[in-house]
Amino acid sequence: MTESDGQLFDLGYRHYEGPREGRMRARKALFVNGVRTSFGLGRGATAKILPIAFFLFVMTPAVILALVASTFGEIAPGETLPGHADYYQIVSLLILIFSAIIAPELLCSDRRNGVLSLYMVRPLTSTDYVLGRWAAFFAITILFVYAGQIVLLLGLVLGADEPLTYLKDNWLDVPRFLAAGAVVALLTTTIPLTVASLTERRAIASVVVIGLFIVTISVANILVQCPERDREINDGQIIAEDCEPLTGSAAKWLGLIDIGSTPIHLSDMIFDKENDEQLAIQVAKLRNVYPILWYALWIAGPGLLLLARYRRISS
Amino acid sequence: MLEARDLTKSYGDTLALARVSFTISSGVTGLLGPNGAGKSTAIKLFLGLLRPSEGSAEVLGERPYENVEVRARLGYMPEHDCLPTAITASEFLTHMAQVSGIPPAFARTRAADILRHVGLDEERYRSIGEYSTGMIQRVKLAQALVHDPVIVMLDEPTAGLDPAGRDEMLDLIKRTGRDFGISIVLSTHLMGDVETTCDRIIVLEAGQVVEEGEVSGFTRETETIYIEVVDRQDEVLAALAAHGITAAPDVGAIAVQNVGDAEYDLIRDALAESGARLRTLGPRRHRLTEIFGDGGS
Repeated sequence: MTESDGQLFDLGYRHYEGPREGRMRARKALFVNGVRTSFGLGRGATAKILPIAFFLFVMTPAVILALVASTFGEIAPGETLPGHADYYQIVSLLILIFSAIIAPELLCSDRRNGVLSLYMVRPLTSTDYVLGRWAAFFAITILFVYAGQIVLLLGLVLGADEPLTYLKDNWLDVPRFLAAGAVVALLTTTIPLTVASLTERRAIASVVVIGLFIVTISVANILVQCPERDREINDGQIIAEDCEPLTGSAAKWLGLIDIGSTPIHLSDMIFDKENDEQLAIQVAKLRNVYPILWYALWIAGPGLLLLARYRRISS
Repeated sequence: MLEARDLTKSYGDTLALARVSFTISSGVTGLLGPNGAGKSTAIKLFLGLLRPSEGSAEVLGERPYENVEVRARLGYMPEHDCLPTAITASEFLTHMAQVSGIPPAFARTRAADILRHVGLDEERYRSIGEYSTGMIQRVKLAQALVHDPVIVMLDEPTAGLDPAGRDEMLDLIKRTGRDFGISIVLSTHLMGDVETTCDRIIVLEAGQVVEEGEVSGFTRETETIYIEVVDRQDEVLAALAAHGITAAPDVGAIAVQNVGDAEYDLIRDALAESGARLRTLGPRRHRLTEIFGDGGS
């Protein structure tokens, strides 16, 4: 055979002599792949539509609040307009739906199409695998929740008459929204992934997660509602309102049934905010330690179940 | 490279492997046996997917169920479906190379190289969901090789392939073993697969090793000579009988048992005397199917 034949020569097999980074590289690869999968990267255009749409939805309230604040600097959000302390309550439902739909993609597909068996013969343990996937989705959720708060912060700072003075007076909002955002993201990452570990079908996982949040919020709201309210009104303003729920003093405990609101109770504590939602008002009557413990239970329980489930699957 | 020592694995009351001991050195080794013989269990133990109930399974001097790092040098092609459908073969292999510990820039080159070696150069940017069965088997093999393992374990690699696809896959396995210098453990219930690709063979049955050795030993040349003639077969038989040689017709040929040097000369003379036109004459190797009967092939 000569070169003029236009044939390609087979260079033969070459052994790999480059660096091998073992388990650390494997973990990083799983994390990066999880982030890419969540955004639909490396797949068709349709896989990207949902994540982009959710990102825009989550950002919309923040952008509107920021625009209003920067246009009308004297209307200080947090007083007459919702601010950092209210943002998570406004977008939490969107974050929950986003997590319920996207998170199962990270676990269900690997089991359904058998790729998990290829991961488990590589330098990884089942715990590495689960933590890699969990960390990827946690990073995505954190990005979603922080992005809105950062846009809002920029709007508030730039809209203020004296931006530096505003920052000086309100700097505490930053660590507060970082902490509260992590609290929200922990729950909306852990529960959907745990549900996803129990079924190979994404749709079932999504429906179960959304159902769980809808049923618990509905039940909790029915149990804490007040049949009638005694209001004390002075000059047309409500100055005192007495609400006696049907379930009486048990209502403050029954309010905890709503799983989706558990991070919001903690967010209210972090921002030291008096929430005017009836459910939050009831839960706020409890000592802080109880909503915190309840939240921790909803992280630790599903988290341990997720790890145990994968130890079992991979053996 | 692989060593099983009193390796035992039980699932409840079922004993999948019963105190088996064997070693597998470099080259291509066939793990042959019917379904349920313990082949897949043995492979899973060597990959660290299972822990032995008793004894040990070591690969490259390590126990993979205790030290996952050794798996960076192992490859595995499962029998079942194991590929995502929505991404391209190139993207999938790049990712899998990284999960085996190879940095991203090197992983991309390895993925492209290995896809070329398995004959999927042109198609590597198509979604795996669009691939034929033969192409899917190639991607499965490619993901097992992408990180340049020392040993690759193939579980029923020809399952579901048509005869042409099977030949291509066996050819690729032979190349992997001989040209790429990667040791192979081939688990199969098809004797033909072992016969065409393997240097050595371990036969498992009901969780026990029943035979092991070089494939050439199993298919050793026997002392039977086969004579194929174009015509006058009866005259040849008569001439052989006249020379005192016992011969019998055997599926389109004449078989002569227990042939020594002296008999070769007599056969030559008998053929010349019969006037038959000779097509072939020579010893025929036993096929594994003859040695192990017809189980499973």
